[in-house]
Amino acid sequence: MARRRSHYYLIAAAVLLGWPWLTDDKFLHHVAVLICITAIAAASLHLIIRTGHVSLGHAAFMAAGAYVSVLTVMQLRMPWPVGLLAGTGAAALLAAIVGPILLRLTGKYFVLVTFLFGEIVRMALVVTPALTGGANGIFEVPPPWPFLLSNRAYYYFALAFAVFGVGLCARLLTCEYGRAIDAIREGERLAECSGVPVIRVKVTVFVIACALAGMAGSLQAHFIRYVGPESYSIVQSLNLVVMNVIGGMTSLVGALIGTVFMITLPELLRGYVNLQQILFGFILFATMAFLPGGIIELGRRLRGFLRARWAGAA
Amino acid sequence: MLNVTILGQVVVNGIGLAAIYILVALGFTLLFGIMRVVNFAHGEFAMLGAFALYHLMKDLDWPWLVALPVGVIGVAAASMVLEWLVFRWFYQRMFESMIGLLGLNMMLMFGAVLIWDVYERNIPAAFTDVLILGDIILPVDRLVVVVIALAALAAFYLFIRYTRAGLAMRATAADVEIAESQGVDTRRTYKIAFFVAILLAALAGALWGQIYAVSPFLGERPLMMAFIVVILGGMGSIPGAALGGVILGFTESFVGTFYGAAASAFLSFGVVILLLIVRPWGILGTPET
Repeated sequence: MARRRSHYYLIAAAVLLGWPWLTDDKFLHHVAVLICITAIAAASLHLIIRTGHVSLGHAAFMAAGAYVSVLTVMQLRMPWPVGLLAGTGAAALLAAIVGPILLRLTGKYFVLVTFLFGEIVRMALVVTPALTGGANGIFEVPPPWPFLLSNRAYYYFALAFAVFGVGLCARLLTCEYGRAIDAIREGERLAECSGVPVIRVKVTVFVIACALAGMAGSLQAHFIRYVGPESYSIVQSLNLVVMNVIGGMTSLVGALIGTVFMITLPELLRGYVNLQQILFGFILFATMAFLPGGIIELGRRLRGFLRARWAGAA
Repeated sequence: MLNVTILGQVVVNGIGLAAIYILVALGFTLLFGIMRVVNFAHGEFAMLGAFALYHLMKDLDWPWLVALPVGVIGVAAASMVLEWLVFRWFYQRMFESMIGLLGLNMMLMFGAVLIWDVYERNIPAAFTDVLILGDIILPVDRLVVVVIALAALAAFYLFIRYTRAGLAMRATAADVEIAESQGVDTRRTYKIAFFVAILLAALAGALWGQIYAVSPFLGERPLMMAFIVVILGGMGSIPGAALGGVILGFTESFVGTFYGAAASAFLSFGVVILLLIVRPWGILGTPET
């Protein structure tokens, strides 16, 4: 069994590393970079969702990472790695400040307040034009290194970060810490009585997740080479939630499936931006009303159905 | 600077804003209290109310006094289709309702963009007079907004307090199963509550659109304000919504006049965060057991 597993990993690695050389289409490489970067953000939001809290302000932490990283590089003339660390640190710091307050709230209040928080951060970016360029944002952001101007090169760069970020989330969820996270979601009081330091675990997870979001923000800003407040509005936060919801909120793989789906679909529907938002809205509604487990749940049900049919026939 | 003229206007603006916020927040808190539905699409019904008033007055040339009730009731009646298509799946499912209705929010908002485009329109002015009381100068349309909103709030209170349907609502909000066992038709009660909530939201939107402007994104701000109001007052608590609306409306009017809209938004958010540290269940809410 373990041998077969490792075969799968080898094939997956070969596909992920090899495919960019099969095509010279810059656009495909561009989409692939976006998928890698967004996968980090979606996986980090998945961590928070696993503790039982749905954050509608996750894009605000991407914004913190992106803006701090860009300002460090452009205003302070620092090399990019310093910017990345500063951005990631800023997002983590912001999370460490608001986390202990927000995470004491029960589900519905948490959703409402993170929604407000996202709007406040966006507003703060707009009303400080001297520093952040206001509503226009900052243009001509330099890439991390000049050779990363090629989309193919940036793909490998982003892929490495995605493997690190998503891998970190996966490791966190499968170790003992992950059991504590699941216990908190299923029954907070019971977990607390069993000796799980609930608030501490929740805040730690929140800070780690927001730091990863900040990292994704920095990677994205230096790839698109622009930061603006609208890139991190409630719509972006919502998209991250949609990714987690359609894939299935109970597994990390669901978040990754959701990411691929949500990044490629808009590229296919380019020119119909409004229609695409309506479609996303419908997907959110339909999934929540009829299939709260998402695509993963659909696969599970289908397998169960087929097995029952097969058993019936035999 | 601070003189009687400005102070008078600030107070009237404060009452007007407070009344509109309370209208939106009441419906929001009603839906939560009775059906355990967190209606993230609530602001979009306000937007629809404003567009209804706009078209009735601009395209059909109806007088304001007819257009307002017809438009608002029309929106609420048409929304019953959405109740059947969307909302009924989420009754008593709080978590799913939040995400699912965010989806409805997106559908309605971007559907409105497809139909009406993004630019802002102005509802034809119904009142252009200005009332002068000594040093105080008041535009009549603001006063009318205040009067209508207060009348709607009074009517809502009487309805909840003194009618059988209102009694059924209060019983359902207290405990669904016991209400059902006592013969309350909860399905019907849900429908009435939904109708009333949308009616209030559409009315708030129409009044809001009359003061400011109408666009597909009109619903965003009332929705955020409703969040703040219900968090301040306590979710599911009707007097709490009234109190929260008064606090927020006056804060915004005072701080907004002297320090700008951004400052008042930051302040409201700061107050919400502070309150959540001390009393996460709101000023008049009850802690969850």
